[in-house]
Amino acid sequence: MNHAHVGSSLAALAVLLVIAPALSGVVVRTKSAFAGRRGAPVGQLYWDLFKLMRKGTVYSTTTTWIFRAAPVVVLVSLTAASLLLPLDGQASPVQFSGDLIAFAGLLALGRFALVLAGLDTGSSFEGMGASREVTVASFAEPVLFLGFLGLVLATRRLTLSAMLGPALTAAWAHQTASLALVALAFFVLLLAENSRVPVDDPATHLELTMIHEVIVLDHSGPDLAVILYASSLKLALFAALIVEVAVPRDGLGLGWSLAAFAGGLLVVAMAVGVVESVMARLRLNRVPQLIVGAGALALFGIILLLR
Amino acid sequence: MSFVAWSVVLLVASGVFGALFRGRASLADAVFRAGTLVAAIVGSVPAVRVLRGTPVPDVTLPAPVPGGAWAFGLDAVSAVFLLAILWAGAAAAWSGVAALRGHVAPAAARVSHAFVGALLAAMVAVVTARAAVPFLIAWETMALASYATIVLDHASADVRRAGMLYLVATHVGTLALFELFAVWGAGAGDLTFASLAAHPPGGIARGAALVAALVGFGMKAGMVPLHFWLPEAHAAAPSHVSAILSGVVIKMGVYGLVRVTVLQGAPPAWWGWTLLAAGVASGVLGVVWALAQHDVKRLLAFHSVENVGIILLGLGAGALGVTYAHPAVAVLGFAAAALHTLNHALFKALLFLGAGGVAHAAGTRELDRLGAAARAMPVTAGAFLVGAAAIVGLPPLNGFLSEWLTARALLHAGLSTGSLRLAVLAVAVLGLIGALALACFAKVVGTVFLGRSRDPAARAAHESGIGETLPLVALTAACAGIGLAPAVVLPAILRMGAGAAGVSLGAIWAGGVDPATAPMGLFVAVVAGLGGIVWASRALLRTRAARGAHETWGCGYAMAGARAQYTASSFAAPVLASYGRVAGVHAHRTAAAFATHAGDPVLDACVTPAWHAVERVARSMRPLQRGRVWLYLMYLVAALGATLGYLLLAGRAA
Repeated sequence: MNHAHVGSSLAALAVLLVIAPALSGVVVRTKSAFAGRRGAPVGQLYWDLFKLMRKGTVYSTTTTWIFRAAPVVVLVSLTAASLLLPLDGQASPVQFSGDLIAFAGLLALGRFALVLAGLDTGSSFEGMGASREVTVASFAEPVLFLGFLGLVLATRRLTLSAMLGPALTAAWAHQTASLALVALAFFVLLLAENSRVPVDDPATHLELTMIHEVIVLDHSGPDLAVILYASSLKLALFAALIVEVAVPRDGLGLGWSLAAFAGGLLVVAMAVGVVESVMARLRLNRVPQLIVGAGALALFGIILLLR
Repeated sequence: MSFVAWSVVLLVASGVFGALFRGRASLADAVFRAGTLVAAIVGSVPAVRVLRGTPVPDVTLPAPVPGGAWAFGLDAVSAVFLLAILWAGAAAAWSGVAALRGHVAPAAARVSHAFVGALLAAMVAVVTARAAVPFLIAWETMALASYATIVLDHASADVRRAGMLYLVATHVGTLALFELFAVWGAGAGDLTFASLAAHPPGGIARGAALVAALVGFGMKAGMVPLHFWLPEAHAAAPSHVSAILSGVVIKMGVYGLVRVTVLQGAPPAWWGWTLLAAGVASGVLGVVWALAQHDVKRLLAFHSVENVGIILLGLGAGALGVTYAHPAVAVLGFAAAALHTLNHALFKALLFLGAGGVAHAAGTRELDRLGAAARAMPVTAGAFLVGAAAIVGLPPLNGFLSEWLTARALLHAGLSTGSLRLAVLAVAVLGLIGALALACFAKVVGTVFLGRSRDPAARAAHESGIGETLPLVALTAACAGIGLAPAVVLPAILRMGAGAAGVSLGAIWAGGVDPATAPMGLFVAVVAGLGGIVWASRALLRTRAARGAHETWGCGYAMAGARAQYTASSFAAPVLASYGRVAGVHAHRTAAAFATHAGDPVLDACVTPAWHAVERVARSMRPLQRGRVWLYLMYLVAALGATLGYLLLAGRAA
């Protein structure tokens, strides 16, 4: 990998890191449009983050250093995971054979930290949320692997950088059905991993019914800001994954490539908003069926490739 | 090899000294600790040399019994297992000295230490033996020494039952190993591994030998469905013994499977696929059963079943790589299996010692009675947390490195042609295992160390002494060190894999496979560096903002007691619900009470009924046993007559 690539991939990473909070705003705006409301500005989350960063923090007397370290671990794991994706459509800053395992491992690291922070408070609400989070993840993680397996088999490459980069353009020509199925599975995964409808409703205000929001009930001030930002980054990361699978950008110049990337992210965010508007939340015990269904799609794509 | 021999002598002698010594207890303990530590250092010298690529000459002793010379050797495969035995063993021995002091009669404790020393020495002999006879002697010594250490607390009926189950299971396994070597050795000149490798059996004999190996070694490794003795025994043993049993003793089964795979030259395809299937079954079922457990030590024991499953995924990939002549898959698979063996020895010993410390301080192993141990025991909590993150396979720790290697072996299989490609689906299983393990260790760390103490009587009141925390810190450093230094670990372990697969590493790298050593090092450095930067900037930020302390938000209701916290059982319930009866959870409901009990479906539904059936058959033969001497003499005469008749008939046929 040459230095030009490092420069362009870091530029793309900067786009992702900056645009991430806006994506949540786009989801909210889409939902508002469906509901006939005006809705909060797209940039609301930036303002919220700014506000929270200047506030003080209240820690529960039950918590230990694990609670304080968790936001840092969550943010670091997601930032490091985004370093593994070729966000400029060409190459990623860090790449090695089998780095897809590292990608999944980093997501798991962030989840472990968040779940432990929830349990650290001793609150039964947060324990409940933590339990649901790991339950959803225990179905979602194999699906992520199945999706990656589909990409590996379609492109015959073992780094995220290569299999989402130039090799993907050629693969789309021959393996269209499989790659479309993988992209679809990743979209369901985005909804599940980011606690969106139909898996969880981020807008609900009842602790008993939530997954993600309830784990972070006790975080406040800058800690909460870091967690909110990390959540938006996670949504952006999955959206980026879908854009990279669905829109191969080989042959575009850097400017066009970044524009296509940012545009793709907005489209995915709007799609999330549409899903949230037209669907109700599933009963919790039906959620595994949805995710296993996504896994079946990815597996079918793999079977087409192994045939 | 003389270093290895000295290491064995030190392990045995330091333990026996304590058992025979009648003077001050502290002197005996110090001798035992020093003996295990020096043995570990001395034994590591040749192991490290071999792993760095310098061969160590074999030693051949004249045989006192038939079966060929008693050969001993140390190749890279043995060296990895040797390091695991010596260092996990030394850490557990150090911790055990402190753990037993004041809880067991000093004489009993010192005899137990002597058996621990003998157990470690026997395992060193198992991995260095290069002939069947010394191998089996060492194997049986290991089995009996394990039994003696498991039943330390033999006043308890549960411990005696677990010990008996272990004893029966291990001897069924040993019987299978006798069959293995008898069948395999029938065609070879003697029973040294060299002649066994030169004359692999063919046809049905090969199948019989391999099935025997699968039963014998699989039983020891805790491979599903032969794992049923493992959770019982490992939960019943003292914690430092559980650390050795789970960390190292079951790895002797893995070692046997590796050795049988390598000795065969090119194993048949069904061998590799069977190992892979056993890996999938052990990995998934092990972790599901672990999630269902209420007892922290039984839970950790089931995680050993899971991790043996992960090791078998690597080993299966390695065997398939050899069978289908795909060297990259073979090298990565063998390397992954060996590295995960070493890693699991380190973090499982760490977890058992940590859990033992908590159980000791709180007086219970029941998850739903524990809580908040991180406050009283910060060192144990920190070490346990690192061990948990490592066993879950989170970067940048050692468990991640070996699971990554396992996945790479399977991914390379996916890029090949033919039926080997199907092995790639096991990567998704690896993802499932990892996610379930995360759920399980979130449950353990959360309920044992975090939140509030659920039972005032079971509050962990104090940190373990330095004798127990020091081994924990050392094991934590080892887990982090291996994870953060892939540039040191990977070349050695890949060289080992190439040796086991019988190919040269250079040819594989030339064939377009990426060694990925340097970028992997960059990756862990980036993760660690980012963590440092963000943590530092958080510290800067914190100095400016006001901070407060308050009780946990309870939706406006501040009176909820510690018992209102989410329990371990509730935490695991939604995951287990999806696995239905496979999870083996039995609910007991009454009008006012609800309790669940987590059994082992294989033990409850298969082994116990089968054992009762054997008992029934045996009872039907009881009338033969009348206690009259003349009747027994009649039996003797009848048996002799039958033998004579058989010989006459056989002679006429010839």
